Amino acid sequence: MRSLFIVSLMVVALTVAACGAAEPTQAPTDIPASATAAPAQPTAAPGTGMVALPEVDPAEVTGDFVSAGSSTVYPLSERMAERFADEGYAGNITIDSIGTGGGFERFCKTGETDIANASRGIKDEEKANCQAIGREPVEFRIGTDGLAVVVSKANTFLTNATKEDLGKIFTAEKWSDVNASWPAEPIQRFIPGTDSGTFDYFVEVVFAKDKTPLLNAPNTQLSEDDNVLVQGVEGGPYAIGFFGYAYYEENRDKLNVLSIEGVTPDAATVEGGTYPLARPLFLYSTAKIMQEKPQVASFINYYLTHVDEEISSVGYFPASTEALDASKQAWLDAMGQ
Amino acid sequence: MQDERTSQPWAGATGAVAAGAQEAINLRKRPRIREALIQGFLFLCGVLSILTTLGIVFELGKESLGFFTRQVWEDSNKALPVALAPGATELLLSRGGSGIQAGDLVRVENEVMLVKAATGQAATVVRGQQGTEAVAHAANVALFRGKRVSLVEFFTGTKWSPQIGQFGILPLVTATLMTSVIAMLVALPLGLSVAIYLSEYASERARKILKPILEVLSGIPTVVYGYFALTFMTPLLRGVFGQDTVQIYNMASAGLVIGVLILPLVSSMSEDALSAVPRSLREAAYALGATKFEVAVKIVVPAALSGIAAAFILAMSRAVGETMVVAIAAGQGPNLTFNPFRSAETMTGHMVRISGGDLSYDSIDYNSIFAIGMLLFLITFVLNIISQRIVRRFREVYD
Repeated sequence: MRSLFIVSLMVVALTVAACGAAEPTQAPTDIPASATAAPAQPTAAPGTGMVALPEVDPAEVTGDFVSAGSSTVYPLSERMAERFADEGYAGNITIDSIGTGGGFERFCKTGETDIANASRGIKDEEKANCQAIGREPVEFRIGTDGLAVVVSKANTFLTNATKEDLGKIFTAEKWSDVNASWPAEPIQRFIPGTDSGTFDYFVEVVFAKDKTPLLNAPNTQLSEDDNVLVQGVEGGPYAIGFFGYAYYEENRDKLNVLSIEGVTPDAATVEGGTYPLARPLFLYSTAKIMQEKPQVASFINYYLTHVDEEISSVGYFPASTEALDASKQAWLDAMGQ
Repeated sequence: MQDERTSQPWAGATGAVAAGAQEAINLRKRPRIREALIQGFLFLCGVLSILTTLGIVFELGKESLGFFTRQVWEDSNKALPVALAPGATELLLSRGGSGIQAGDLVRVENEVMLVKAATGQAATVVRGQQGTEAVAHAANVALFRGKRVSLVEFFTGTKWSPQIGQFGILPLVTATLMTSVIAMLVALPLGLSVAIYLSEYASERARKILKPILEVLSGIPTVVYGYFALTFMTPLLRGVFGQDTVQIYNMASAGLVIGVLILPLVSSMSEDALSAVPRSLREAAYALGATKFEVAVKIVVPAALSGIAAAFILAMSRAVGETMVVAIAAGQGPNLTFNPFRSAETMTGHMVRISGGDLSYDSIDYNSIFAIGMLLFLITFVLNIISQRIVRRFREVYD
């Protein structure tokens, strides 16, 4: 009798909790299909470039493969992998989000992965490491990111910054040190970790490749997980951070993106090249891997053919037709066709 | 009948004695092979734990030694402005200098050089040190500055940033201590109160309900506790103390949740200690007119003090080693602060964050993880020794 009472109590509690959780305002953790709020549709429809790749039927592709790297490219790769699986692919695709540096570590030093995702180009040391283990990396440009420098919606004083301002904001102690009219509160910074390609890119563009001042700055938190950064920036009006545009897109209701030197990131400015912090997104693999593991070649083929259809809803911007053509040509060259 | 019975034993005994005289009764201990094997196996299980501990200590020690003795080459971020001939001893530095001083070691490509004298713009060097050869270098090659991490710098430095050559562990240690202290402030009073209630006051029914629920509390995964801290405790603290005082990642909410996590540990161990106190002590106190509270607090708790102290120290070690809760809720950047409402990274959180990014073996970040791990191990080891000493010192032996 008593055990029945306790069990029914637990069932009631669980039902109440489940009903409560079913209510809206649940923040989406995967990319929302926010087609209405997304930037303009890509300018190039798929297949209008000069280079055509052989048709790939995902249902006929067998075998698993592993990819790892940039947290910026991660949502895009996940989306393409989902689509690949939806259209019939039955194998396992593993995609790890560990930062561009970590991705190259696994691709070039330990040789564990088949594809490396990157939000910056491969460095010379990394290329040398790859060659040391017999891998000749082939670069595929798959899209463009407009690096979003964000503040919380509660921040009312900062809407635009020049690159110099960014340098000061990311090293100064208080907001008032950068601009006397801003509040005299300490600046709380949330930036990607040192393994992240986004970090490398920011240091290159804003600090001329010198990471010391950025790492020396007080009140700075680093994380390879961009969701942690989103949480941090949302937390207060005196917080600032930067990450790939898709993470801003997903959290538009809580974050404000800064315009850099007067230019707001959107499809036109990023694709047109006027947004100062537009940067390329890449996949890396090798000809050997693609030939020995045809599933990798098929996936990259599929990726290059269909990326423009998905990239806007993920939150990034398409690469130019020439760049995509170059990638497709690289694919053909790698496959010896 | 009776005669037979009385006479039989004698006959039997004589018969037995007569039979025994021919075959000696072996009274030596019979070897039981199976028992010996079982004993040996159980002993090996025990030895396994010793070997594992030794293995862990060895690994930590080896890599930490690597951390303290290796030459760390940090990128000075200033490239060589002009080409360098093999015989040249004047090294031109980029405008703005690079903080290179006499006695420093610098590395250009594969060659190591010793700096004899340095002004802001140039340095006099001895070429080809440490077994490397003096070769020509092109312009714009990166210049690396060498340093060793000294123990003094490790323990007294206030900034931890291995990527730029700062190796002061104080920020991580203070964050660990702060979260642990907050956790203990929550867990000790509550845990002890629960234990006293369970052992002195609770009816059988109450105990049957309360104990399983405490077990459930201790069975919740720590990562769930971490998100509990981030999504429930932090907004609660921000609501109570204000959005501006409490940062989104802060040590207080992590500490409070760790306290909840170790509460079952404190309460169950303390309750065991309290129950072990013999009833005669309590009854004697009641007989003298003490109230239940006086018995609990003045008689039972002091008698069980060694067990309670052991419980506290075990809980403290657990709190110090707690990883997921602080990794999720306490912060992602080392920060030396004594304000619990600010974010700061603990030793364990730092190890998780850095190792999550895939380090190359033998990089400075990789070795630094082991050095931090060694320090953590030493802290918990010392706590364990203290706990054993206290138990031995205060143990009451009852007849």
